[in-house]
Amino acid sequence: MTDLLLPSVATILAQHDEAPDVRTYALRHCDPDEASGFGYRPGQFVELSVFGFGEAPFCLASSPTRPGGIEVTVRRCGRLTDALFALGPGDEVGLRGPCGNGFDVEAARGSDLVFVAGGIGLPPLRSLIWNALDRRDEFGHITILYGARTPSDLVYKDELRAWERAHDVTVRVTVDRAEPGWDGAVGMVPTLFDDVELRTDTSLAYVCGPPIMITFVVKDLLRRGFGADRVITTLERMMQCGVGKCNHCCVGHRYLCRDGPVFTLRQVEEMWE
Amino acid sequence: MVKSAAYVINRTDVNAWLAHILREREVIAPVRGAGGDTVFAPIATPDDVLWEFENPIGAPKQFLLPQTEPIAHFRRHEGHYVVAPATALPARVLFNVRSCDASGLASLRETYASDLPDEVIERRADALTIVTLACGRPCEMGFCVCSDSGPFLHRDFDLQLADLGETLHVDVGSEKGRALVDLAPALFRAPGDDETTRRDGMERAALGLFGDETCHFGSAMRRLSTRRVADALWEEMSPWCVSCGGCTHVCPTCYCFSVADDRAADGSATRSRLWDSCQYAEFTLEASGHNPRAKRAERIKRRFHHKVSAQYFRRDGRVGCVGCGRCVKVCMGALDMPAVVAAIRHGAWDGVRAHD
Repeated sequence: MTDLLLPSVATILAQHDEAPDVRTYALRHCDPDEASGFGYRPGQFVELSVFGFGEAPFCLASSPTRPGGIEVTVRRCGRLTDALFALGPGDEVGLRGPCGNGFDVEAARGSDLVFVAGGIGLPPLRSLIWNALDRRDEFGHITILYGARTPSDLVYKDELRAWERAHDVTVRVTVDRAEPGWDGAVGMVPTLFDDVELRTDTSLAYVCGPPIMITFVVKDLLRRGFGADRVITTLERMMQCGVGKCNHCCVGHRYLCRDGPVFTLRQVEEMWE
Repeated sequence: MVKSAAYVINRTDVNAWLAHILREREVIAPVRGAGGDTVFAPIATPDDVLWEFENPIGAPKQFLLPQTEPIAHFRRHEGHYVVAPATALPARVLFNVRSCDASGLASLRETYASDLPDEVIERRADALTIVTLACGRPCEMGFCVCSDSGPFLHRDFDLQLADLGETLHVDVGSEKGRALVDLAPALFRAPGDDETTRRDGMERAALGLFGDETCHFGSAMRRLSTRRVADALWEEMSPWCVSCGGCTHVCPTCYCFSVADDRAADGSATRSRLWDSCQYAEFTLEASGHNPRAKRAERIKRRFHHKVSAQYFRRDGRVGCVGCGRCVKVCMGALDMPAVVAAIRHGAWDGVRAHD
């Protein structure tokens, strides 16, 4: 019997602490057929169960172009994530999905890509970043702009350095508050825009972060000449079912879990109630 | 017996028919509850079924979308989790439900069948046979005529009964309905011309009894969907709501739910789907503490956008209201569908029941 709300069992293969209270888990379905049959797009998410504690949506932070299982990067901030952080390699969780629309990778071919992430907003973009890097000749210049509250709060610290070394990729990182040993930029993410060439006519801008950060970044991008069709964001709401039925995540008549979570700014402007 | 789109059965034979149905299925009908209220509940004998009744305050949606429904069991077995579906799919007959409630069940079914189908709900709907009792007159708070969900139905039923006094006229709406007739075919005969005329006359008369106190969805939909409702209007309504969720719980078309786990000491757990309400402050509360609809006015606006906007009408093909009037009865303020629709149309909220 297939059931929209029935999770599959998956094993935690590995975990990696990214920042205080932020951890990446690598997962694989226990059923070999489910494991090999799990296809997804960057920007999609899974509903992750901690059995007995419930279920919540987490974006897929891994790229389908890479082996090594499914990865989610989780910030501990509630009952479910408290229970998840008590688990480690070998423990079992539940998975449903992939859910949501994901990024339209094919439509992005040939464009320059500008990624703008704040804090825990980098994981969904990381999936697309690796996807683009693994198919490098299909995309133009890649710019990655990333900000966090403090240097400790930056996630994927090693990967940021690896991306910086990649061919034809610009990486800029900033923090709101420096800590001893930090010699990088200090300031909000939009301060990085003056530091790079944005190529507004040929670029697609991918924005993800806390709501306030998205608001400021989007305003700035529009002011600098990006069209509303060329600014793409991935939104969050309280979600339960992940399949467009339970109504928690709707905005207007759109369901973030089903019609989204990826929307162009133009689509966001049309979501009102 | 010739297959027909309609039959009649003598009132004196109805209990014998119900006895045949009861032998095969669970029958849910309006019955007098222990406290004296009318409720939908399984019947033990045909005599339990009420034929003159005020529609129960709880809609029969619970028989398609239970208020609390186990959906999965998580068991520990040799160190691993095993996930097993926990859904019950009983074959049931809903007997003597009103037209509005049958429309509500159809609306729920369509919602769950659309886009990604929820097979559990679809299969439960398949196992449910709906026998309606058409309304010969509007009920006190009802306005079903405004959303094409009564007093008689032309879709969304399996059998539709019309009480002609000594006989019941029976419209057949589906093969599932016909199967109930076929349980006791000797009790049914084709309607005579006179009986067909009386059934049609009853429908016309019922339609004519709706007064001006109805609910004009069309013009409200236009205003709502063209952003001509000022935010201040929702703010004015806000003090009249206590976010109790009563309106959404009694509404035949409301279907918001949450999912929660209940765990046992041995590590096993049961996951359930539970009714939720978009009117609760925590409905959109995120783990981060951010809440996009923290304000009550935003939640009221949300409810009516979902039910009355053209955006949703285009998606669902129905307004999210069957005119049963339950929200009118249950709201402690006055934020019921007809009052809010009137406020949207007039662009003003006067804080009293303003049916127009």
